[in-house]
Amino acid sequence: MKFSKKFSIAASLLGLGLLLSASIAQAQGDAVTIRYALWDSGQQPAYQACADEFTKRNPNITISIEQSGWSQYWDGLTTALVAGTAPDVFTDHIAYYPELLSKGQLLDIQPYVDKDKVDTSIYLVDPSLWVKDGKRYGLPKDWDTIAMFYNADEFAKAGITADDIANWTWNPTDGGTFEQTIAKLTLDGNGKNGLDPDFDKSNVVQWGFEGGPGDASSGAQPDWSAFAASTGFKLTDGPWATTYHYDDPNLAATVQWWADQHLVKGFAPGSDQLGSGVDSLFLAGTAAMFPMGSWDIGSVTSSATFKVGFAPLPVGPQGRFSPINGLSDAIYAGTKHPDEAWQWVKFLASPDCANIVGDHGVVFPAIQTGVDRAVAAYQKKGLDVSAFTTIAADKDHTYLLPMTDHISEITNMLQPVLQNIFDGQVKAADALPQINDQINALFTTAS
Amino acid sequence: MNSLDLQLQQSNQRAVGTQRRKLSWGRVLAWCFVGLWVFVTLFPVYWIARMAFSTQKLLLADPTNPFPAGLTLDAFRRVLGLLPLQMVIDEGGFPKVMHFGEYLLTTFIVTSAITIGSTIFNAMAAYAFARLRFPFRNRLFYLYIIVQIMPAVLGLIPNFILIHSLGWVGTLQGIIAPSFLGSAFGVFFLRQFFLGINRELEEAAMLDGDTLIGIFWHVILPITLPALTTIFVLAFMTSWNDLQWPYFAGGSGHIEGTTTLTVAMLSFRSQTQRGLPDYTGLMAGTLISIIPMLAIFLVFGRKIVDSIQFQGYR
Repeated sequence: MKFSKKFSIAASLLGLGLLLSASIAQAQGDAVTIRYALWDSGQQPAYQACADEFTKRNPNITISIEQSGWSQYWDGLTTALVAGTAPDVFTDHIAYYPELLSKGQLLDIQPYVDKDKVDTSIYLVDPSLWVKDGKRYGLPKDWDTIAMFYNADEFAKAGITADDIANWTWNPTDGGTFEQTIAKLTLDGNGKNGLDPDFDKSNVVQWGFEGGPGDASSGAQPDWSAFAASTGFKLTDGPWATTYHYDDPNLAATVQWWADQHLVKGFAPGSDQLGSGVDSLFLAGTAAMFPMGSWDIGSVTSSATFKVGFAPLPVGPQGRFSPINGLSDAIYAGTKHPDEAWQWVKFLASPDCANIVGDHGVVFPAIQTGVDRAVAAYQKKGLDVSAFTTIAADKDHTYLLPMTDHISEITNMLQPVLQNIFDGQVKAADALPQINDQINALFTTAS
Repeated sequence: MNSLDLQLQQSNQRAVGTQRRKLSWGRVLAWCFVGLWVFVTLFPVYWIARMAFSTQKLLLADPTNPFPAGLTLDAFRRVLGLLPLQMVIDEGGFPKVMHFGEYLLTTFIVTSAITIGSTIFNAMAAYAFARLRFPFRNRLFYLYIIVQIMPAVLGLIPNFILIHSLGWVGTLQGIIAPSFLGSAFGVFFLRQFFLGINRELEEAAMLDGDTLIGIFWHVILPITLPALTTIFVLAFMTSWNDLQWPYFAGGSGHIEGTTTLTVAMLSFRSQTQRGLPDYTGLMAGTLISIIPMLAIFLVFGRKIVDSIQFQGYR
């Protein structure tokens, strides 16, 4: 008894001493500012809260957040990388990651992960996405899936029930009950909907649906990508593939159906009207629904004057699919403070930061506890986001965005072709196989 | 000059006289055309104002309303950084902390330096090309014009590399440097003016014992003041509105004290892939940032028109 008391005092003294020396060492460490870049200003307050908490725990490291919108973000980052003034840590997207990697701009964090024994199995998105040849270039921070954003007021007015939405089906031939719904929601100047034989498609006042040619760099992620996947289509055979399958007839059928909603049926606006972003027609009440990523929940609901709902995408011939995409935080290879940058990345990818971010209800963090908090935060705002979380949990029906080399060249080649299909100048079945040959040639000639 | 003014006045009066006497169809047509032109020019400005005074929500809900949707000054207050972030978020704006005063000051420093520097160097270069005799003068002039007349975007990368090698990326001098030493148009424009000046004026000054620099300063500059003003105002405008170079050279808007107004306005562009811009904030910011331009025009407008007329009568 006596001995154990003495022992415990000694032990606690020793512990105190260790703690003191540790905190002295920390206090003696030079004050370091880590520059951290992200693009969505809507997420900045959440990550600022993480940064504040981080600095509380690591008083010698301050985080300076540099935010700029999506398109400036990549221009600015590229310029800063060239100039050697890039931020120490930045948000990475798989559309740009292969290129950054091939240019040697990312720091391998595998040694840190090993040393600190970071458990990479806690993430909802496959963390191996950010691993190549045994080296690791980031840890997952969040994820997003696609669902149908809809104008709940207009849906109610057209008599579309929750059951209709939950079970709607789609196929590239006749569009299934999904196309029926679109038709019902499309109204012409005489108040006739798209199902009416007298429907006047040259005088539409409300479109049932909107969707553009999509962004070629992500395989049209929020647009036709998931519809094509529901036919059994796979764009590539997995990360770092060297062949694309843009010649698949299922894809051509999907893209053509998508374009024909405007060109033939008159149920959707032309791509010229989507110039200011798909959100604007929806928010103006002239389009009743559009497929979009979970990242847009906050922006759309805060700008809408009507009730916005989120429906699961329609069930296709092979089931219901959605791409799942996640961002990671990468460390700039040229950083002067790799150790401190790693501390920050580790914190960003930890449950503690995920919970803080989740509470803000702006994005789904990569860790389940964070997602639960985000769902609760959205619920508090009166939003049911299960359309995004349900599909995300269904690993057999989610797929990754294309991640290969040459993404920027492919984008430059494919984007005009998609545009032409949507403008009705070429048929998808002719144009896509042709461009696919050119895309695949990139991989045989360049390397 | 005086007799010229008198002539001008007389001819103006004559013109007014004829107009009163008969109203020809051509004149009506001309006025209609002018009216249409004014409308086409001013309508976008009105539309900017209309969006700036709207709320983000109602603006999108009511796109065809010719008047501000939900009249408010909030967009301006947001741009000026006077609204708490939570209110900004609730209103559907981007929660970006704006330091408007800082952007304005930066823009003023950059623009003033470029305007003053380029006007001085333009004048000196133009005078040298117009009057000094040195080998290959005209060839050098044309070479200069050809190099400078190429689209500015071609100079972007070389300029950036140079500024980077100097370690000036993200500094004010980095933003100012390329335009500080003048522009091809300025040199060309002023050289034409200088060529038109009667040589005897300078010869007289030279007989009075004035030096070359003295002549330039005492004789040439005063009589070309209208042309200099034009160049001054044009340089001011170009530099005030420039976006690309201040963006890249100023460290993409992340370095304190190097963010110009135009670069700051980028924060209202879409934040996410295919997201929506913060229209009301963007338009309010645009509107505020053209006020200094308007002021310059109100002050110098008459002089610019004068100088162009002046050249026309030669």
